[in-house]
This record gives sequence, structure tokens and C-alpha cells, in this order.
Amino acid sequence: MRKVFIVARREYLVNVRRVGFIVMTLLVPLMGAVGLFVAAFFGGQAASFFASTFAPQEGNIGIVDELGAFTPLLPQYEEQFTLYGDQEQGRAAVRDKVIASLLVIPEEYMDTGKVTIITREGGFSAAILEDSDTVQEFFVDHLLQDEVDPKVRARVAHPIEPVPVSLEAEAEPEGGPLSVILNLVVPYFLGILLVMTIFVTSGYLLQGVAREKTSRVMEIILSSVTAQELLAGKVLGLGALGLTQIVIWLGSSVALSGGTVGLLGIALPLLVRPQVLVLGVVYYILGFLVYAVLMGGVGALGTTQQESQQLAGIFSFLAAIPLMIGGFMFTNPNMTIVRVLSWFPLTAPTMMLLRMPMTEVPLVDVVGSLVMLIIAIPVILWVGSKIFRMGLLMYGKRPGLRQIVRALRQA
Amino acid sequence: MPRTMLETNNLVKRYDGFTAVDDLSFEVYEGDIFGLLGPNGAGKTTAIRTIMDIFKPDAGTITVLGHPPGVVRERIGYLPEERGLYQDQKVLDVLVYLAELKGTSRSTAREQSLLWLERLELSDWAQKNVRDLSRGMQQKLQFVASVVHDPELLLLDEPFAGLDPINVDLLKRLIRELQKDGKTVMLSAHQMNLVEALCDRILLIDDGKAVLYGDLAEIKQRHSPGTVRLRTPDPVGELPGVARVEQRDDTLTITLKGITPQDLLRTLVERNIALESFEVTTTPLEDIFIAVVKERDHA
Repeated sequence: MRKVFIVARREYLVNVRRVGFIVMTLLVPLMGAVGLFVAAFFGGQAASFFASTFAPQEGNIGIVDELGAFTPLLPQYEEQFTLYGDQEQGRAAVRDKVIASLLVIPEEYMDTGKVTIITREGGFSAAILEDSDTVQEFFVDHLLQDEVDPKVRARVAHPIEPVPVSLEAEAEPEGGPLSVILNLVVPYFLGILLVMTIFVTSGYLLQGVAREKTSRVMEIILSSVTAQELLAGKVLGLGALGLTQIVIWLGSSVALSGGTVGLLGIALPLLVRPQVLVLGVVYYILGFLVYAVLMGGVGALGTTQQESQQLAGIFSFLAAIPLMIGGFMFTNPNMTIVRVLSWFPLTAPTMMLLRMPMTEVPLVDVVGSLVMLIIAIPVILWVGSKIFRMGLLMYGKRPGLRQIVRALRQA
Repeated sequence: MPRTMLETNNLVKRYDGFTAVDDLSFEVYEGDIFGLLGPNGAGKTTAIRTIMDIFKPDAGTITVLGHPPGVVRERIGYLPEERGLYQDQKVLDVLVYLAELKGTSRSTAREQSLLWLERLELSDWAQKNVRDLSRGMQQKLQFVASVVHDPELLLLDEPFAGLDPINVDLLKRLIRELQKDGKTVMLSAHQMNLVEALCDRILLIDDGKAVLYGDLAEIKQRHSPGTVRLRTPDPVGELPGVARVEQRDDTLTITLKGITPQDLLRTLVERNIALESFEVTTTPLEDIFIAVVKERDHA
């Protein structure tokens, strides 16, 4: 046990000084700081800033009124809208950049609703214009100004201001769109971050093993400790490394947001359902164990660091599948493919870490995936440490399947 | 009877149908320098790796310090044939880590590492990265790594490979000093002339099989017919127990048969032959090896 600790301490100390680790650890708080700076700088105007970025033409829109219902313009629109006698004048104004866009309202507008939108670039800006609040209000106000009062006109222009409430999440405090973001997006990104720490640290394990093997230092190490002690020490030390990273990330997010707010943002959705928090920790640990042991074994197999990394790529791809289908998961976190991947031990930890915060995962999936993982880990550990031991001492050639099977039989 | 530090009985190790170690039995006694000798590919490294519990033997038993292999790792020092150290770490850190893995406390590990570095004139390099050391220095460092935890039994696989003559001498001296301190050393070598003077007992193997085994002096006596070189102005005449006499000027090389050099000397003195010099020469181990292998192949 003492030797496991010595190996773990060294792995930790060597890897914590790696440039890659330091950059990755600092990058997340840095991004947070940039985000905060942007938010503070633009304040509440962030939304209008984005709106004006995408629809800067709103300020000057030309109208050709063939129907006659828009002449003269209502005084409140005179500043933004300009009337043109015919299309030719309007088009010339667009071409000369006097106006950004031209709306041609034909005689048969009342029957068809068709309005021609003429812009220089077309496409995107035309679509934005069509959807713009000002244009909607412009039409409603002109068509209904004599018939209904302003309140009704405003409702006709914007009939729905959505306030989503989910029955499952009824207990949660209401917070409008912000709470939706906190409840869905934050845990999702938290899940991705956790998954990343698993890959990064097990990647270090892979590199370390491959390097020890190619630098031939392995034989001395194995004359001092057993392969199991070595693997256990590496897994432990790098696990602590991953934990350090998470603590720094969480700590910096608390510090950046001035304490409670940031912590609450992350913790609130998790605390609402504490079982998610507990299971999250369980899946994180199991996920790390599965991948660390796997990478240890794979790292020992390759003859060069490069070859080891190529072999490991196959497994990394498996683990990344849940991240790839993350988008679909937003719409249906309980779809069949998601459930299948939740049961498969190599994808279960990532899948469940991403899935649990989004929805109430069926109990059978939780129990099933945990049982599969708990069965799989000792098997992977056993096979992994056998392959690890054999692979470590084979230089120059990668063991074939036959040799791996033989090594397992000998055990 | 000295204590047995290491013992193998009918050791066999095969790879894919090829037998690398074939029925080896030998003992290493406490305080000895034991040579495992043989040409390249004879199976020396494989034998050492099974003793170190890096490979599992296919048959036979191994007892190291009274235990099966892999039980008492702390009391054994090992210099593998495949050399390598953490290149991107400091010399001292590497030594301390390796000593700690052998169960030495951190402070003792540090102390001993510095002492050994001084002994090998590497003190100035303690805080340098391993990769900054020259090849020769790395070889010496590798040797330090195998002795820094003060082991009782030292297994050195081809310790002289790649060393220049000066460092070969240095290493020989260190090995003798270790022996004086009561350590037991087992070393392998393919250059037999290099270790002949160093070893007390040897096992000479070829194609995985034992060719010669036992006390080196005894082996030499048993296998070298006994040759004496002498200088005399007098004619020696017919001598009993002499197989062959070669004469060049006044120097005679006499090959003995059935008598010892001592017997010959007595006869010469009895005959009152004036001796200017009398030298007992031995056959180099390599010649014995070649002769034995030839004999075996003819049989």
C-alpha cells in the first residue's frame, strides 16, 4: 500500500507540472472571466447589442404603398420609415444606401399578405426584417389604428410572451428563461467538463505508461513493485489530479461570481434533486476507473507512444459518442439510443453524467448501468493489469491476440 | 557451508516453441561474485528475468533469499539489460523515487543517493535532467539506481556492456567493494575475459543449457590441462607426466598430464635444473568454453 502511495504521489507531482495540464486548468476560469467582463461591459444591453448586430437596417426602411393603407405614415414611424412614390425610386434609394431595405406592399396585399422585401444582399437580412418587432408593429398599427385601441394592437403584434413551467420541475423557483438555462445548460456543460477531466487524466496515464515503456525504465520499476501496485498508484495519483482540476474550476467560478451566486448557479439544479449529485459523483468515479485502467492497459500495448495513442483513440471514440448525440438528448433524454448507451459500460458514465441533470432517468436505467459498470470494472481491471504486465515488457512488437489470450490464461 | 542466496532447480522458459532456458539448476552463495556467462542469445537475460519475477518460468523452481520470486523485491538490486531512466527528470529525483519504491525512507534515499553520486563523481549532476548526461554517465547512474537501496543480493545483467575501459575498471572495483561489504553479486556477461578475474563461481550456458558450472578455479583446473612456462639454460630431458613440450629459444611451454605444476617443480628441483623463471599459466575461460562446446557437439 505504501508503494501504491509513492507511485501515486510521483504521478501527481510530475503531471501537475505539465504545461498541458496547467493551460487546460487555467483556461476554464479564464473563459469565465472573459464572460464576466463581457457581461459587465455590456450590462443589460447585451440583448439589444446582439439584436442591433443582426438587424442594423431597421433604422431606415423604405415603403412603396401601392395599397394606400399606409399613407400618410403614422407620426411615430416617420423617423424610421420613408415613403417612396414607386418601386424605381425605392430601388434607387436601396442601391444608393439611403435605406437598407424596401418593402413593397401591393394592391392585393389584403387578400394574399404578400410583401416584397428588397435588400442589397437579400437572404438573411430579409428574413430578420420580416421577423422584426418594429415591422410587425408597423403593419398592425397602420391597418388597425382606427378600429382598436393601442393595447389590443400591441397584443395582436405580439400575442404570446412565453413563461414555460414544467410539471416535473414544478417545485423549482420560477425564474423565466434564466432558470431553464441553469437547469439544462449548466449541468450539461458541467457534465462535459467532468467527462473532459476523465479523458485528460486517463490520457496522461496512457502517455506515462507508453513513455515508461519506450524509455525502458519499466523493467526497473517492475523489479520493485507489482504491475497491480503500479497501475493502482497511477490511477490514484491521476484521479487526484483530475479532482484538483475540478476543485480549481469550481473554486474559480465561485471567486469570479463573488461567492454564492456562481456556486448556486451550479449547485442549485443539482441540489433540487440531490440524488443527481450523488449519482453524478458515483458515475464520475466509476467512469474514471474504467477509462484509467483501460488506458493503462492500452498504453502498455503499443510499441511507441504514437501507436499507443492510436490504439487508445478507438476507446476515446466510444466514450465521445454520448457527447456527439448530446444535441438530440435535449429534445428527448430518454430515447432508445440514449438508453442503450446508458447500459453499455464504456459509454455509461459519460451518457449518464450528461443525461441525469436533464431529466428524470428511469430507475431501471440507473440500476442497470450501475450493475453493468460494477461487473465490468473488476473484469477490465483484471484483464487490463494482465495486458499491462505483458505489454510492458514486450519491446519492438505489439502482442497479437493469441499472446494476449495466452497471458490471460497463465494468470 | 555458506548460505544459499539464490537457487534454481530445472528452470525452463520457452517462447513460442523456442526454448530460451533449458533445465538450468544452480546456486549462488552468500558473499560470492557469481558469473552467469555465455555468448549472446544463450539465455542469460531470460534466466535473470525469471529470477526477477518479470517472466514466469514454464517449469522448475526458483528460490530467492528463501522465497519464491517477487516476494522480497526490497532486498534485491537489479540492473536490467535494457537500460532506461526517466529522461526528463532530475538525476536525484529519479534515484530517490527508485529507492523509495524499494522501501527506503525518503530521507535515507536522499542521503544514499547523494553518497553514491559522489562516489561515482556525478555529484555536480544531481540537479540536472537525466537527458543532459552523457551515455557513459547514464550507465553509471543506472548502476547507482540498482544499489542505492543497499540490497543484499545484486543482479547485474551485462553490467559492462557499452562501457569504456576506464569505466569497466571503475565498475569492477565497485563490485569488489560491494563484495567486501558482504553483498552477494550475480552478474551476466558475454565477454568472458572481462569477468574471469572477478568471479568466484560461474555458470556457463549455451543455447539455454548449462555447459560449465561451479568454482571457477576448480573448473579451470579440471579443464585446462595445466600448462607451465619456464626458462632454463639446462636441457630438461624426459619428464614424467608431461604430454607435450614446446621450445622457443630457452623458453619451454610444458603441457602437463596427470600431475600438478607442483609435481613438475619438485622433479625439476630434484634433477638440479637451474630455473630462471617458472610460471603456471591457465587456459582462458573462453578457450575452455570453446573446447567443451566442440567436444559436446562431436559426441
